[in-house]
Amino acid sequence: MSPLDGLMHGLSVALQPSILVFSLLGAILGTFVGVLPGIGAMAAITLLLPISYYISPEAAIVMLAGVYYGAQYGGAVASILLCLPGTPQSVVTTLDGYPLARNGRAGLALFTSMISSFSGSIFGIIVLVLLAGWLSQMATQFGAADYAAMMIMGLIAASTIGSARPAKSLAMVVVGLILGLIGTDVNSGVQRFTFGQTELMDGLNLVALAMGLFGAAEVINNIRKTERHTPPDRVRLSSLVPSWSELKRLPLPILRGASLGSFFGALPGTGSTISSFLAYALERKVSKTPEKFGTGEVEGISGPEAANNSASITAFVPTLTLGIPGDPIMALMLGALVLHGVQPGPQMLEARPDMFWGLVVSFGIGNLFLLLVNLPLIGIWVSMLRIPFRWLYPAIIVFISLGVYSVRGSSLDIAMVAGIGIVGHALAQAKFNPALLLLGFVLGPLIETNLRRAMLISRGDPMVFIERPISCFFVIATVALVIWPLVKVLRDKVSVRQESL
Amino acid sequence: MQRDVHDLWWGGFLALFGLAVAIYAALSYDIGTLRQMGPGFFPLVLGGVLAVLGVLIVIPALMRESEKRPIAWREMLAVSAALLVFGLLLDRVGIAITTPLTVLLATSVAPHKGIVWRLALAAIITVLTWAVFVFALKMPLPVWPRGLVP
Repeated sequence: MSPLDGLMHGLSVALQPSILVFSLLGAILGTFVGVLPGIGAMAAITLLLPISYYISPEAAIVMLAGVYYGAQYGGAVASILLCLPGTPQSVVTTLDGYPLARNGRAGLALFTSMISSFSGSIFGIIVLVLLAGWLSQMATQFGAADYAAMMIMGLIAASTIGSARPAKSLAMVVVGLILGLIGTDVNSGVQRFTFGQTELMDGLNLVALAMGLFGAAEVINNIRKTERHTPPDRVRLSSLVPSWSELKRLPLPILRGASLGSFFGALPGTGSTISSFLAYALERKVSKTPEKFGTGEVEGISGPEAANNSASITAFVPTLTLGIPGDPIMALMLGALVLHGVQPGPQMLEARPDMFWGLVVSFGIGNLFLLLVNLPLIGIWVSMLRIPFRWLYPAIIVFISLGVYSVRGSSLDIAMVAGIGIVGHALAQAKFNPALLLLGFVLGPLIETNLRRAMLISRGDPMVFIERPISCFFVIATVALVIWPLVKVLRDKVSVRQESL
Repeated sequence: MQRDVHDLWWGGFLALFGLAVAIYAALSYDIGTLRQMGPGFFPLVLGGVLAVLGVLIVIPALMRESEKRPIAWREMLAVSAALLVFGLLLDRVGIAITTPLTVLLATSVAPHKGIVWRLALAAIITVLTWAVFVFALKMPLPVWPRGLVP
């Protein structure tokens, strides 16, 4: 199917009422959780995971994706108006968005973030369409060694890039990998770490794990925090319209941010959060007035917002064409697809055109919808910011329980969520990132299978990872990622010593 | 300021956990060869890596001070209790009784006094739960205690 045919086909799928409703519902829900500090896209997608059993796989994935990109829009609103980023991706937006809002230009900041998010998404969709077709053809040349090397690079990239303590991040990934071992070993049929429990034969339940880490633990973390926010000033629709000179400043940062985001989003291990930070750094570097950044420059909003939105779209490239999730949210998406009996991979474009093209077009429709609806509805989102957390979290707890219970009617699973929630809270207080645990958990079985297959094919010769060009590229990238932080630490030590001399 | 106890505890725990995984795997499962990896190979390697990482977390934490980040014991207890009560009672008495009980348990640690908002919230969430899960999604959930309704 050519991209154009594909898009036409996707349009016919995405416009079906049963799909359209869930796509828009997801987008609105995403904006809602993005606006609310304390609940992120991760938690929202987890909470919706069990409910998605009750709708078709296409509708489910379109809705969950809507939550993901919707949260990017909503996150920016809380960042700009309250300096409280609702999502990690919108942390950078506080830097110049909040100062603008303080100066009475909240409207300009919101408009900039919305239009940049939208343009970034459209750019991301174009890249997704082009890249997915190319990569699914490339993927036929991917061998077991290449898959294994790519996934290992993804895990190491996710835990070292932008992490203050790489050892802690890597430890989370490895704990996830170990938890992923639980259950029946696909190669030998041996029961590993099940300790005779039949419930564990199929492995640890993804829904229970995610609910514990992102539902229960997040609730515990947030009950005490920021009970009352300073209510932001009223934002009028008329103040949203920028002047011509301000409008002229937007296209270039958007283009730069979107290109950057599309690239890093598609790369496993780097995602929208990193893209937004890089885009901010880039805008500052190319600006003629870098000293003004942090005081309310629109470029500081438009670049990062375009970057994180385009990245959140292109993140679907490796997930859908190779079956390899590049970041924790994609790991959850992959989990959702697998729960619905859809195995993403190179055949996905051919075998499930409804799913793939329907999803692509729903990105476009959902983003357009958010652009058109969010600006007029900004007053509603602002009032959402006033909802205290104590009204929400009891509902979240009921939601978690029912969601987990609905998977297989097991009260034991709910108890497990409570236990995982306690561990998750202790991890959060120690500044571990539980999202990486989930990434390791989902990728673990895939890595092991491919690693073992690669070694079997090469007759036990590990050189296969260097001889194959694709895998060699990932091995080099992995080594660079490991060495780079070490070099930085050593250099810092040397410079400290020189200063002390 | 105090020593980074979080990293000390977690680093130590993860190191021991990794060691336990590696030893258990080595004793219980076939390791195999590089060519024919057995079911024990991957766990052994992962356990070893985690043990090393645990030590790497502990060492810098010994020389570092950190802000206090206390564990929220009361919140932890209330949220777990709310979840457990829901899990235990749902089958027996249905959502009409389980949901408000869970909400009241959960709100017991909310940093806001008063009883009216708690009761109102319990009622609202119960109705919403019924509307979303039973009415809209048609989940086969018991609504009332068994035996009360035919």
